[in-house]
Amino acid sequence: MQPSESFHKVSYDLRPAKQIERRMLIDACQKLSLAGFPISDYQYTGMGSIYFVDFILFHKLLGIDKLVSVEISTSITKRLKFNKPFQQVEIQVCPIGDVIPQLSRDRRHILWLDYDGVICSEYLTDVVLAGTYLTTGSILLITVDVEPPGGESPADWRDYFITEAGDYLGTGKGAKDFTRTNLTEKNISILNRAIMRGLVGREAEFIPLFNFAYADGHRMLTLGGMIGTEQERRQVHSSSLVKTPFYRPSFGTAPYEIHVPRLTRKERLYLDGYMPCNEKWKPKDFELPPDAVLAYREIYRFFPAYAELLL
Amino acid sequence: MAKVHAYPRKQFFLEMFTRDISLEDCVLDLIDNSMDSLLRNRNIDIEGQVLGSSNGKQQAKSISPAQITVKYSQDQFEITDNCGGIPRKEAEQDVFCFGHSTAEPKGKLGVYGIGLKRAIFKIGNKIDVISRTTEGSFTVSIDVHKWSEKDDSLDDWTFPITKTEPAVSQHKAGTSITISELRPEVKIRMTNGTLETTLSNAVGQTYPAFLDSLVRVKINKADVEKTDLPFGGSDDIEPGIDTFEENGVKVTLLATLAPKDKRIQEIAGWYVLCNGRVVVLHDKTDLTGWGIGMPAFHSKYRGFVGIALFTSANPMLLPWNTSKRGLNKEAVIYQKARNRMAGISRPVISFLNEMYPSELPERPVEREIAERVVQKDFRPLINAESKKFEVVRTTPKIKKLKVQYDADLTDIERIRKKLRRPGMPASSIGRLTFEHYLKTECPE
Repeated sequence: MQPSESFHKVSYDLRPAKQIERRMLIDACQKLSLAGFPISDYQYTGMGSIYFVDFILFHKLLGIDKLVSVEISTSITKRLKFNKPFQQVEIQVCPIGDVIPQLSRDRRHILWLDYDGVICSEYLTDVVLAGTYLTTGSILLITVDVEPPGGESPADWRDYFITEAGDYLGTGKGAKDFTRTNLTEKNISILNRAIMRGLVGREAEFIPLFNFAYADGHRMLTLGGMIGTEQERRQVHSSSLVKTPFYRPSFGTAPYEIHVPRLTRKERLYLDGYMPCNEKWKPKDFELPPDAVLAYREIYRFFPAYAELLL
Repeated sequence: MAKVHAYPRKQFFLEMFTRDISLEDCVLDLIDNSMDSLLRNRNIDIEGQVLGSSNGKQQAKSISPAQITVKYSQDQFEITDNCGGIPRKEAEQDVFCFGHSTAEPKGKLGVYGIGLKRAIFKIGNKIDVISRTTEGSFTVSIDVHKWSEKDDSLDDWTFPITKTEPAVSQHKAGTSITISELRPEVKIRMTNGTLETTLSNAVGQTYPAFLDSLVRVKINKADVEKTDLPFGGSDDIEPGIDTFEENGVKVTLLATLAPKDKRIQEIAGWYVLCNGRVVVLHDKTDLTGWGIGMPAFHSKYRGFVGIALFTSANPMLLPWNTSKRGLNKEAVIYQKARNRMAGISRPVISFLNEMYPSELPERPVEREIAERVVQKDFRPLINAESKKFEVVRTTPKIKKLKVQYDADLTDIERIRKKLRRPGMPASSIGRLTFEHYLKTECPE
């Protein structure tokens, strides 16, 4: 096995890009908090599974106390309870779509629809509900797999999307609109339309904030934004979130790609000593392509360090 | 400055206008007129006495239900009511106008100011409207052919009105519309034998909230039976409720299971009521959110029933279309409500998904619960707090799965031979072999 392959395998298990995304979201929430959004009073509703990674971070780093984890599988209820990290994590065993309409109208929410599959009609009904029910000032995050769905060719993929997301496809319905390179963009526009549908008749709009793309294995997409009025929009614009490289005020621009350069621990410690570096800087003591240096510069603050721990 | 003409033309109202509605719609429009007289004269409020828990109570004590009678033959159509009549001033200034002025409509079911005219023009040529209130009465007689001949200026857009004696008592006050010289196509419908059934069904389905307690409708001497909305309830379930109010419209959304004996695909779906009148029946399309915020309709959802009630003092604000048998789905209030209809129905949909799981347990507990659901009146829930549909499970979950497989007849015969039981049923062999494997390979 080549060293790079072995590194790749380790990193896949630990999903570093996903972790970087979580850390960036937390960084963003901290910045929004400074701009006057009372994030620590928000309720976090997510799909914690048995790991609760996001719950631990949101509680410890953002001070969010009201935490609800929704799990669809009825066969692991004991395991969920056993693994919940804090006593105030409330676990609900039912489809997330049953929970969204019941989210309190008296508080603001962070709702993360953290799916691991390709867009399907059920996900989209959840997204519509989120647009319908989330209070203004709430943050909606949606993660989906943007790999091609089952089938061999763009024409097959197109047929899949017509069945599962027909109402949200807009005009481009030719097979050429569903090539592998177009799929991310197609997913973004489908999700965006579903959110808009949910917001119909409300005095609120969707204020885009995030659009992450990464691949720890499968290529994934996380769209995020705030349900808000002109006032929230102004408040967001006044925050320092707008200065971060991962801020995406429109879904028309390309997603922020989380690239995780492959580096040894020794290389990372060395690079950290020069961060944040200027555009032209390159390490003197080993070879590293300039794009890897720049990629590292963007993520080093959020990049988890993994080490073996003997318990 | 030079000007172009933009006059109304009588032919437009007589020929175009009448094409978009069915004869049934016309009769419902005329009944709406009678209902409006009743609501006005008896001072009945929709939210309290029609849809609220006090439905019929006040009426039952003081006054008996009003009567609307529809009679027709191949020569004549007649609708008569004792709903209190139309005030003469209103007849002179509003009732016969095509469309209302900008002021709020006076009725609760009559909205656009076209229903009455469209209905009578569609049915026939000679029309006599007689209406008596306790304060005054009038007769309006129209010969449509004659009226349509002269169409030179707005002064030609009048009908002659004659004042007559007032009604002697409130009970005698009412309106009667008689139409003769029926249009040929209407004559055919009136004699083809099915109209009585379709009319009676339409009336029964449209006014379940009004019939019996407030009013009775007779069609050619037979009383119309109301069709109750198939709203189910039991000790095990609590229906989902969501209410909101916006721009003068109060919206109440209810989602529950159908009563056991009404778990039929045909009548499952959403019912939409505007000011108590059923506008959409058992809808299973995207009109009411199926395939949008809800999954697309599937036979396993035949136990779903949702009721969406829109009420307003100003019926113009309600999301119905001009035939009042469909929705203006572009209405902002409706687009918003549709998303919330999806939200309130989700737990019912999840329940039905569990009732028909892909891996079939012997008998999911959901079926036991659904078996105990019976017909309930939705009206006591109208002013309840918003809450989600919930099941109070009284029986524990059954942890059983059905095992079923095909086996070759020759293999079954071999087992029968080995057991020396040639007539042993296949199901017993299945159970025996399963238990044998369990005992020998997986002892506890």
